[in-house]
Amino acid sequence: MSAPGFRDRTAVAGVGYTPFSKNSGVSTLTLAARAVLAALEDAGLGPDDVDGLATHRVGDSAAPWLVASALGIREPSWYLDQFGGGSVSHSVVGQAALAVASGIARTVVCYRAINARSEFRMGGTGRAVPVSPEVQYQAPYGFFAPPQQYAMYARAHMLKYGTKEEHFGRLAVTQRANAVKNPRALMRDPITLDDYLSSRWIAEPFRLLDCCLETDGACALVVTTAERARDLRQPAVTISAAAWGGGDSFLSGGRADVTVTAAAELAPRLYAMAGVRPRDIDVAQIYDCFTYSVIVQLEDYGFCGKGEGGPFVADGHTSLDGDLPVNTHGGFLSEGYVHGINHIAEAVSQLRGQAGDRQVPGAEVALSTAQPGYILPATSALILRADR
Amino acid sequence: MRPVPDRDSAAWWEAVRRHELTVQVCDDCGTPRFPARAVCHRCRSFAWSWRPAAGTGRVVSWVVTHQVFAPAFAGAVPYTVVLVRLDDAEDCLMHGGFTGTPSADLPVRARFDDVGDDLTLVNWVPA
Ligand SMILES: [Zn+2]
Repeated sequence: MSAPGFRDRTAVAGVGYTPFSKNSGVSTLTLAARAVLAALEDAGLGPDDVDGLATHRVGDSAAPWLVASALGIREPSWYLDQFGGGSVSHSVVGQAALAVASGIARTVVCYRAINARSEFRMGGTGRAVPVSPEVQYQAPYGFFAPPQQYAMYARAHMLKYGTKEEHFGRLAVTQRANAVKNPRALMRDPITLDDYLSSRWIAEPFRLLDCCLETDGACALVVTTAERARDLRQPAVTISAAAWGGGDSFLSGGRADVTVTAAAELAPRLYAMAGVRPRDIDVAQIYDCFTYSVIVQLEDYGFCGKGEGGPFVADGHTSLDGDLPVNTHGGFLSEGYVHGINHIAEAVSQLRGQAGDRQVPGAEVALSTAQPGYILPATSALILRADR
Repeated sequence: MRPVPDRDSAAWWEAVRRHELTVQVCDDCGTPRFPARAVCHRCRSFAWSWRPAAGTGRVVSWVVTHQVFAPAFAGAVPYTVVLVRLDDAEDCLMHGGFTGTPSADLPVRARFDDVGDDLTLVNWVPA
């Protein structure tokens, strides 16, 4: 369970972004190249220092070998081109950390670059229905888009635990309030619970304001050894734990309680690896493709009892001034959706003490999580620590 | 939007075409499974049979889709899709269309709708 040989041996030494928009006007290769260079610059490094590249994609982005050739990185000694969407977003960084911890690579840049609004919408229209054996049993009924799939599980949670639409609404309102303090966020106008309740239906019980922002943009992270990160430009943020897992179908296979996600199985392993408990987490970036995704993960990562995620949010625990600030950048709902990696980047900013008006005072330990296993039945997560 | 059966599921779709709802059952340990696949997740046996299902179940959840996610469904919105737990294969959940407003644990039964010369879909109606 524990991995003392892994804990805090590697670090995130650089963070880079492109602007987020509805139409980048450029290729995903261009986005990737810009984000990679920005992350290296942030770390005080350059392309010649890079010997590894890692990404994930679903046929919608630039492969590592393309990015390497575009940036003149002549001989990457390690690369990862992981198939998958949000579920694997955090495992990419975990695997980069493994490569660095083992000595196979010294400086790996992880990136995700997508034109998720202008070219390849996750929500359908203009893209082929995803290839998964389970799709054939759903798509003929007009059921294949992520908001539909999540809405089904959200309603099951409402029916079983009494979770209310107002709970989803409070979460959307809270995260928007954070985005108001984030210059990078796409949506910076405050919203009220009434705004939430009057937004149009997308897939009942989800409204427009339950859904994340399909976004054009890229984000990149530099992973190197903790020792080296201490000598670089920014305060080091170490990787205390990285875990990924899951794999069962929700339609059968002993996981047919659709209100529990793969995160419930992964969480104990993750906490043990980092040597922390839920109450040690100072700030959490929790995958919010939809509002409900946060509520179920608050439960499955042990911040509240099963079924209590909705009231936990409504009571203000996840607000910036609550005891567990969540999605301090506004999350995918309000900052933008780069498929997971921008949660890790925000966690790093918080642990460096560089989050500006939305800084959580004294944040030392952060959790960042991936899609909890509802669509691709797997998940991944990281625990990061300020190195001071 | 037509289903795209694979080598594991083709027989399931052929049974639906005959208006039969089946569930794959492990020959060695009896565990039912869905979606169709060649190996039992419990005992790893590759021996299985198709067992007729009662075709009844309970509504676990449902979604009413308002957004047009694909042009083929532009004329259908709003429409309801239910998630049903089969009575005789408790660990198996199936999706399907539903007319009207479902409720939690509503007893339902499968209805076979021929939607073309060569395609039948399973929808659900109150039992
Ligand atoms: Zn078996």
